[in-house]
Amino acid sequence: MRINTLVLLLALAILHLLVIFAGFIAPYGPSVQNRELPYAPPTRVHFVDTSGFHLRPFVYSQTLTLDSYKEDRTREYPLHLFARGETYTIVGIFRSNIHLFQVAEPPRIFLFGADGYGRDEFSRLLYGGQISLAAGILATLLSLAAGTIIGTISGYYGKWVDESLMGSAELFLSLPWFYFLIAVRAFLPLHLSPVETFLLLICVIGLIGWARPARLVRGVVLSARSRNFVSAARGFGASDLYLLRRHIFPETFGVLLTQAALLVPQYVAAEATLSFFGLGVSEPEPSWGNMLSTLQQYNVLVSYAWLLTPAAALVITSVIYWLLADALHSRLKSHSI
Amino acid sequence: MKYLLRRLLRAALLLIGVSALCFLFTEMAPGSFFDEMRLNPQISPETVTALRARYGLDQPLIVRYSRWMASVVRGDFGYSIAYNSPVAPLLWTRAKNTLLLTGTATFLVWLIAVPLAAWTAASHGRWLDKAAAVVSSVLISVPEIVIAIALLALAVRTRLVPVGGMRSLGFQEFSTWGQIQDIAQRMVLPTAVLVLSSIAVVERHVRASVLEVLQMPYIQAARGLGISRTRLLFRYALPVAANPAISLFGFSLATLLSGSLLVEVVTGWPGLGPLILDATLSRDLLLVIGGVLLSALFMVAGNFIADVLLLAFDPRIRTGESHAN
Amino acid sequence: MGSDARVAKSAQPFLRVRSLTKRYVRGGVLQKRIHVDAVRGIDLEIPACKTLALVGSSGSGKSTVARCVTRLERPDAGEIWVGGTDIAGLANRALLTFRAAIQMICQDAVTSMNPRFSAAETVEEPLLIQRRGAAKQCRQSALEIMSEVGVSADWANRSVMEFSGGQRQRLAIARALVLQPKLLVLDEALSGLDLSTEAEIINLLLDVQAAHSLTYLFISHDLPLMARLADTIAVMCNGTIVEQGPKSQLLSNPSHPETKSLLLPAKIFQKKYAEMLGVSG
Repeated sequence: MRINTLVLLLALAILHLLVIFAGFIAPYGPSVQNRELPYAPPTRVHFVDTSGFHLRPFVYSQTLTLDSYKEDRTREYPLHLFARGETYTIVGIFRSNIHLFQVAEPPRIFLFGADGYGRDEFSRLLYGGQISLAAGILATLLSLAAGTIIGTISGYYGKWVDESLMGSAELFLSLPWFYFLIAVRAFLPLHLSPVETFLLLICVIGLIGWARPARLVRGVVLSARSRNFVSAARGFGASDLYLLRRHIFPETFGVLLTQAALLVPQYVAAEATLSFFGLGVSEPEPSWGNMLSTLQQYNVLVSYAWLLTPAAALVITSVIYWLLADALHSRLKSHSI
Repeated sequence: MKYLLRRLLRAALLLIGVSALCFLFTEMAPGSFFDEMRLNPQISPETVTALRARYGLDQPLIVRYSRWMASVVRGDFGYSIAYNSPVAPLLWTRAKNTLLLTGTATFLVWLIAVPLAAWTAASHGRWLDKAAAVVSSVLISVPEIVIAIALLALAVRTRLVPVGGMRSLGFQEFSTWGQIQDIAQRMVLPTAVLVLSSIAVVERHVRASVLEVLQMPYIQAARGLGISRTRLLFRYALPVAANPAISLFGFSLATLLSGSLLVEVVTGWPGLGPLILDATLSRDLLLVIGGVLLSALFMVAGNFIADVLLLAFDPRIRTGESHAN
Repeated sequence: MGSDARVAKSAQPFLRVRSLTKRYVRGGVLQKRIHVDAVRGIDLEIPACKTLALVGSSGSGKSTVARCVTRLERPDAGEIWVGGTDIAGLANRALLTFRAAIQMICQDAVTSMNPRFSAAETVEEPLLIQRRGAAKQCRQSALEIMSEVGVSADWANRSVMEFSGGQRQRLAIARALVLQPKLLVLDEALSGLDLSTEAEIINLLLDVQAAHSLTYLFISHDLPLMARLADTIAVMCNGTIVEQGPKSQLLSNPSHPETKSLLLPAKIFQKKYAEMLGVSG
């Protein structure tokens, strides 16, 4: 599958921008509850009514009657673009209260339906994406950093340093990863503030995964170290640090990039799984994982299909990253001599 | 023989490493583990003191480690607070279920992946190969949790197979065949999830190595002699491609075992997974450690089996020994 | 008086090697250790601004001598006198000044150049490593040397992979010159070049030697070729020097069988050539 790397990068950029601008795109905040609208289905957006076609879409108010939802067609509520709503911040710096679309009270516009507390699934999906994607990316950076340092030391200095480091890498690789993750999580305090939990998750997921990047980096460093241009530079009196910085490190970029593309979706899935089990990000902060955990209840799983949207988000993220990794991998192979 | 001994040594070292890691965890837990126990009103202070003495908390690290290892080797994995019973029996009953699930899944993965890989490698470039490549790309990229939830939703809505647990009510009254059927039915969902999440990786690797073998001159020569394609594939190419494939066996076992935790919890299969998760949530740390150790043991054992298989399959390793020395 | 002094100075050997020995050990923890002498008891001298050619067939140990002289390896025994100092046993730190004074050019220069670097980056690298000035200055010096060896300034920013074999050797020479060395060790620097390029590079090397007052140690398997460049020739076989002396003497009156066998191709060629042209050899 040789999908253009540029297309994939574009898709990735769009995905991340959507999530970064969650405050703007989402009509509501992530914790806003509407107890009178539990498990509301997705609001239908209409363009046609009895008087014909309208350019500006509108919605009807949904109310819960007995055990199903019915639209109240007595009044139309048009959609307003770039309207004012609740205040939010983008990346914690920019404040605003202009949202992409809003609907005048009292009806709610639930593009992807609502959960048991009447919280807008669409908004939570975007806000949850911030946490899930950030966790994946930061954990990846941590893994790569740890792996690069260890792999470089191992590959450059060789001999017993190499043997012991790679031996422990093998140890980490031969552990059943998920058991290990849970075990480490078990030994750390269960109930922490959301920020602490988030940082903890990143550290645990990222540091456990140092072994594979370390092995790959070590391989590159090992072969680069014996290249003639390294000996030549050493012949000119170059220090170890210079050799590593100027000659050996650049060789690792390709490998690191491909590894990054492979690890991010894995770590996003790891965060999702941990949160799903209640070991990760906990309520009320949304994450794609903990949003899915309500599906462990039989009736929810059966009746409310729209609550599966975080799963779709996970799939989309994973597929794009994975295709990117594939494309990068073939590029790397064709470029190397 | 020397090869096997070396692998055995490696496995032993791995196990020691894992156990040391696990032991370090018990040491590093913030706040003494026993302090937490002391706070628990269900456990009397005498029990705590006795357990403390048993674990010899005042001894140096090495001594504590060796005593802990000694008890582990004897089968004493400690005591579970939540279940109020020794850890080992708890683990063992669940472990059998996990082994059953993982074993079946492994078997099925290799049963399907190997011929499929051979077939797609042989039809390299044609629509079958391309279609299979798309499907495998999708399967690899979709996270396991999503596959689990999706299949669960499917099973629950279509009611094709029973979901949750390993045995139906009234299991005792079933005939032997009925019992087997019951378990098998309930195993369909978790096994399907496990197989789907790991088959793509195995298929790709085997396919790549078969492709490599098919390019070899002696295969072309055999082709020229008029040997049929099927025979060529299965009697000539596959045994050679088996070597890199078998090295994958250990890795696939790792993924399957690791993934089984997730799958068991989501589908309700009573294996080690739900046990360890509950233990984590209730801070029953010795149970968690026991579970991790056991799973590591399975992994190392599985890898060792893979090494034995490799030895049986690949004569080069046997002869390679005499050359190296 | 002045000319005597000059003679005396030029007669002073720039490089003097005495009893150089280098061993390699095969085997490790589990196997029996076998010691192999790569070179044994090497004695040679090169007067300043002169050229010595060290010739031998492959495996004779000549590359090992080159590596010891440039201290890429540490000799096990012997002395290597450069100017007035014995560098054979010096520690790495003390060697720093000598590393600039002695430079090596290898056979296929390309492998000793980072493919990600441009030509200018490659040539200026030694200056940057040894901190001989600001980045701009180093780049300037590099460009000057490059034009001296005949590499056009337009090509300065191209990757080294885009250059032809002969151009790469020029770059290698430029890189070697940039630290203003006194001794150049050329290890099979002319092998693998086509005849016209070879001739060009030889001329360049001779020009450069005169312009920068360089001493050359040439390593090669091609004795007839060395005849054009060297003042003295030393023949190596199985790790020792079997015959050494001024070029004229070795060529007209070779005594050792190894020397004779190295001269053979030229003699055969000469004879055949003479036959073809119908001229007496």
